[in-house]
Amino acid sequence: MSFRHSVTIVASPRSRVGKTLLSRLLTDFHAQEGREVAAFDLNSGGGTLAAFAPEKTTVSEIADIKGQIALFDRLIADDGVTKVVDLGHESFAGFFALAAQIGFVEEAHRRAIAPAILFVITPDATAVEAYRGLRARFPQAVLAPLHNEIFGTAQHRDKYDLAGHGALLTHLPLLAPGVRKYIETPPFSFSDAALASSRIPLEVQVELQRWLRRVWREFRELDLRILLADLQSSIGLGT
Amino acid sequence: MAKPTVILVGADKGGVGKTTVARTLLDYFGAHQTPTRAFDTESPRGTLKRFHPDVTEVVDMTEVADQMKIFDTLGSADARVTVIDVRAGLLSPTLQALSDIGFLESAKKGQITFAVFHILGPSIASLNEIAETSRFVGDANYFLVKNRINDTTFFEWDPKTYNSYFKQIKGASEISIPKLNEMACEQVEVASQPFVSFIANKDTKGQTANYSFVLRGYVRHWLGNVWSEYDRVKLIDLVAPKVEKVENVRQQAAG
Repeated sequence: MSFRHSVTIVASPRSRVGKTLLSRLLTDFHAQEGREVAAFDLNSGGGTLAAFAPEKTTVSEIADIKGQIALFDRLIADDGVTKVVDLGHESFAGFFALAAQIGFVEEAHRRAIAPAILFVITPDATAVEAYRGLRARFPQAVLAPLHNEIFGTAQHRDKYDLAGHGALLTHLPLLAPGVRKYIETPPFSFSDAALASSRIPLEVQVELQRWLRRVWREFRELDLRILLADLQSSIGLGT
Repeated sequence: MAKPTVILVGADKGGVGKTTVARTLLDYFGAHQTPTRAFDTESPRGTLKRFHPDVTEVVDMTEVADQMKIFDTLGSADARVTVIDVRAGLLSPTLQALSDIGFLESAKKGQITFAVFHILGPSIASLNEIAETSRFVGDANYFLVKNRINDTTFFEWDPKTYNSYFKQIKGASEISIPKLNEMACEQVEVASQPFVSFIANKDTKGQTANYSFVLRGYVRHWLGNVWSEYDRVKLIDLVAPKVEKVENVRQQAAG
């Protein structure tokens, strides 16, 4: 198995922690790496990811059975397409409850698909408890904690049990405040081609590229961790 | 030689899910490698036969010839367990017939293991059925099955009233069948497959099918809960008592 055939769920039970930015970056990262990628937007009220990357994103919902089938049957399809799920905080509990009930992670493994949860860590007890819950419920999935540096240093990392598959801390580097406004107007792509043709001032482009290089490095390390976890489990070494 | 087991699945009212329960029983015994045969009394066309054609025969319980087909072969059939899906309205007459032919007496003497799965419907009439049925079941293993598969809102009887009926039968056990998502239920119907085959994504020819992963997940979760209920009432122990199990293990160990 390789990360090429993966489903990454970007999750946190909290709102406004950077999940959609991460999902946008992950989607563009996979595309940059030459992978066919599909994104799924599970945010209520407007579908932000869909606004930024409309050609790659499907707006999804899991409130009814038709929506559940449309989402999960696609996620589990053995079509070689890398999938990214931007899981809005309102859908967090429902999504994972359903995933556990229908055996999503087990089925993914049966189909040689690597399921990964990119969990944005925050200091609040709700998030810490949710992280523990995911670890207990989905021991076969790669649970990768991520620190968004916009929230300062990760002093709360001790609250998280950083062990097991892929559990070294991934970082979303801090983006210079002056650059941020340029990436927040949809639609927007972080691909080289899109940036080259954009009207972003040169000095901002340089800063943005520098930031992206750090982001891509973090994602590549995450790739390797997921691949390693997969190799370990396939040869029976566990975590 | 193992003692044969007969399980009667019935209700006097129609549409309460008798065949659904019978299907879960066939899947359950199949999963426990217990040879089982079934009789579908919805003559001439049986719903149970549609789902489990290999082990099911359609019979007319009012015909003596068909009664012979079932009960005269209990000792000689390869199947250890016989599940009879009794058509609506025929539960009490069937029990009466079993009493008349001496079957219930044989069960009382321990020559046959006999169990009744009485599927309860939403109305107070179901409670009256308990009283009617209890006249016959005596020492049989009597299971009162609350079938919530369609999420009917009926189990809101006054507990005192319900208990007054329930307690009429010594040793009766309650089984609760949980709700199954409507679309999942419908898709299994359309597939005309046993629940376990649907979960395994197999079509009627045993080939890989294209059933929805989500719906299969719902069915798997639901069937797991149903089987937990059967485990709770120790159904498999009823069919294969521990003494026999120990003997089997010993025989296997002896080679």
